[in-house]
Amino acid sequence: MSESGAFTGFAAPQALAGLRVLDLSGLAGQYCGKLFADLGADVILVEPPGGSPVRREGPFLDDHAHLEYSLTFGYLNAGKRAIGLDLDHPEGQRVLKALAAKADLLIESDKPGVPARRGLDAAALRALSPRLVVTSITPFGQTGPYAQYESEELVALALGGLLYLGGYADSAPMAAAGNLACFAAAQFAAVASMTALWASEGPQGEGRHIDVSIQESVVMAMENAIQFFDLEGSVRKREAGQQKLAGMGVFDCVDGQVYLMAGGISSSAFWQSTTQWLVDAGVPGAAQLAEPQWSDADYLATEDAKAIFSGLLAPFAAARTKEQLYREGQGRRIPICPIQTPADLVGDRQLAHRGFFVPLQHPASGRTLSVPGAPYALSKTPWRLAGSVPRLGEHTAQVLGELGIAAGEMAALLQCGAIQ
Amino acid sequence: MKNTLPALPTLPLAGIRVADFTWIGAGSFTTKLLADFGADVIKVESSGRLDPLRTSRPYRDGTPGVNRSGYFADRNSSKRGITLNLKTPRAQELARRLVAGSDVVANNFTPGTMEKFGLGYGAVREIKPDIVYLAMSMTGASGPDHKYLGFGLTIGALTGLQHLCGLPGREPAGTGTNYPDHIPNPCHAAFAVLAALRHRRRTGEGQYIDVAQTEPTIALFGPAILQYTANGEVAGRTGNQRGAKAAHGVYPCAGDDCWIAIAAWSDAAYAALVGVLGQPAWATTELAASAAARLARRDELDRLIGAATQHWNADALMARLQAAGVPAGVVHTAAGIVQHDPQLRHRGHWVQLDHPEMGPSIYNAPPFRLSGVEGVPCSPAPLLGQHTDEVCRDVFGLDDAEIEALRREDVLS
Repeated sequence: MSESGAFTGFAAPQALAGLRVLDLSGLAGQYCGKLFADLGADVILVEPPGGSPVRREGPFLDDHAHLEYSLTFGYLNAGKRAIGLDLDHPEGQRVLKALAAKADLLIESDKPGVPARRGLDAAALRALSPRLVVTSITPFGQTGPYAQYESEELVALALGGLLYLGGYADSAPMAAAGNLACFAAAQFAAVASMTALWASEGPQGEGRHIDVSIQESVVMAMENAIQFFDLEGSVRKREAGQQKLAGMGVFDCVDGQVYLMAGGISSSAFWQSTTQWLVDAGVPGAAQLAEPQWSDADYLATEDAKAIFSGLLAPFAAARTKEQLYREGQGRRIPICPIQTPADLVGDRQLAHRGFFVPLQHPASGRTLSVPGAPYALSKTPWRLAGSVPRLGEHTAQVLGELGIAAGEMAALLQCGAIQ
Repeated sequence: MKNTLPALPTLPLAGIRVADFTWIGAGSFTTKLLADFGADVIKVESSGRLDPLRTSRPYRDGTPGVNRSGYFADRNSSKRGITLNLKTPRAQELARRLVAGSDVVANNFTPGTMEKFGLGYGAVREIKPDIVYLAMSMTGASGPDHKYLGFGLTIGALTGLQHLCGLPGREPAGTGTNYPDHIPNPCHAAFAVLAALRHRRRTGEGQYIDVAQTEPTIALFGPAILQYTANGEVAGRTGNQRGAKAAHGVYPCAGDDCWIAIAAWSDAAYAALVGVLGQPAWATTELAASAAARLARRDELDRLIGAATQHWNADALMARLQAAGVPAGVVHTAAGIVQHDPQLRHRGHWVQLDHPEMGPSIYNAPPFRLSGVEGVPCSPAPLLGQHTDEVCRDVFGLDDAEIEALRREDVLS
């Protein structure tokens, strides 16, 4: 196994112990591999010559654009074992087949058709090992009119319909930040892979090919917009910069903003509590929010209602910090939350209680970094980071050695460029 | 009309039973992911305290009704639905019987709610020692803020998502949706449940899974967190611009509120873009001579590109750009994506299911295809209490007279 990182001594069992995963993917799939690695699977990251393209994704540690300094790569691949393999080279293909024959799951994100040209498509691999699950993650899926289209994050958000819902009424549609389209696909790929593994490890004993589309994964984030169109014939539009309904939206405070949901879903108790809060604070005119028209959703949607509510809440919020508003509001069982920045998250007392941020060893710099840790707490099989950020080709010799490839043969593979 | 469960035995999760106490967004979608692939998910509802999605728009034909919400329907396909009045001891006893025959118990209440019904993890473990018990509160089962409550939008605020999306200098915009409800929380929770089921199959041991509905979304922003913890930089909003990429943006097209997304920041893609746009005069000036020049004046470049794209039909421009190898896509509206996207149609993403009250309506298929699995999701969302009698007979072993007596005593409401 990979080096044990910060963890020593007694280790609890892990839910995915014994699973062998080959992660051939790029940005679209490496979060999927991470989910497996962090629950105990032995995940081997297979990188092309020159390293995974994700090694070129920023941000970089100390803004140093270098293959070993990508923070995105480090975050997604810590705890995996990294090998360099040229899958366009016949000898590289032979090594991959040997690895696949012993694997439970293979994750890949090459353009449709590329694996087949290498003789490494799902059908060929599953002929070697019928219980293998092969998960392919591509922008649009394996077949269809867009299968060979070019894409990246922004394009996937556009064609997946989420982009149109983001942004301000008076602006262009605004894309979601980060890598949410790629990671959406990676998350669904993880669920799909576990679903297939449940069957392949069970009595059915048979693997499957899973075809994940990034576009289609983004569609799942359209909330109720599809049903609004299908059932009521209306097209939802972007609406940031204003309250969705009176009492539902972003409000400025001393040191930033809060999001308040006094109106909206199952709102009446929250509305009453919010009204009482403002009355107790002596906000002039707040008592009018108890009048009957405020329990009418149609009225809450009017510009009048929004203006009146904002006129009462804005001065109240502007005199308080987001922390104050969060504590006081939640103390009254009102769904209000601070709009946190990454710095706020690192200082968040609840996340600290949960030990959410964990140390990550980055050997290339010798530094220990702080990263988001367990996204779920499993009482008997806890999440853990299995190791440090792997360097390019760090585990090639180890992994090939486990296949029984002798030193002499390894040297020849290195010489011909099949491995790195 | 395919409307009866349990699912076909060929589905990979057939044989798993879920006692589903989830409601609203994230919880219901978690168990749907299991239901669509063959798990027998029995959703327990109360007609006295309805799932708020049942009373949320949109409704079939705009007419409100507890069985008419499309938001509810899409999140609850392939499930059986029963109603239990958990305020009564008899209903709590039935819930315990349901749990005793289940592999998974799921809820997304604030901590303490399940305990009130005698269905906390400690009590459930007494009944079913190897249960996989999923709890999904907003901030987790313990800690200084564990009693706090929220929804997808407030969770978006709490996690940094709201802060990171939108234009610098303007109000944080978020995604315009309850994003954490739709992907990060259900996917992480379903993955954890399946992993825990694997552990149980290998060891006989069940466990408690505590998902704080903030943490999966924060985990997706690992790189932005590292930008702060490692480099000391607090990431902010950048609109549609990303890193050192120009041209990269959303540009207007002909028509009302029509747009195209273009990512032509590599030299090759940029050259292809200006080629398709007809080599406008600015394309050959020093503004566009190098990636560095494009980057230095990217606001100006974006304006010039927008001036050129605004006369194009978005679909036609996408086709031309893709033919030239440029990553580009129309900004789909809900109407456009349902009616005009040939790729999603090819994949069979939009599934028509005939709901007993709503009639044929559109459901999302899961965004992946498993070889050997077809017809997913297989049945529409349950009517309120649709399967109460069926579950009373098949799962609880009651006869019709006993069911009628329970109904008279207001146990099954």
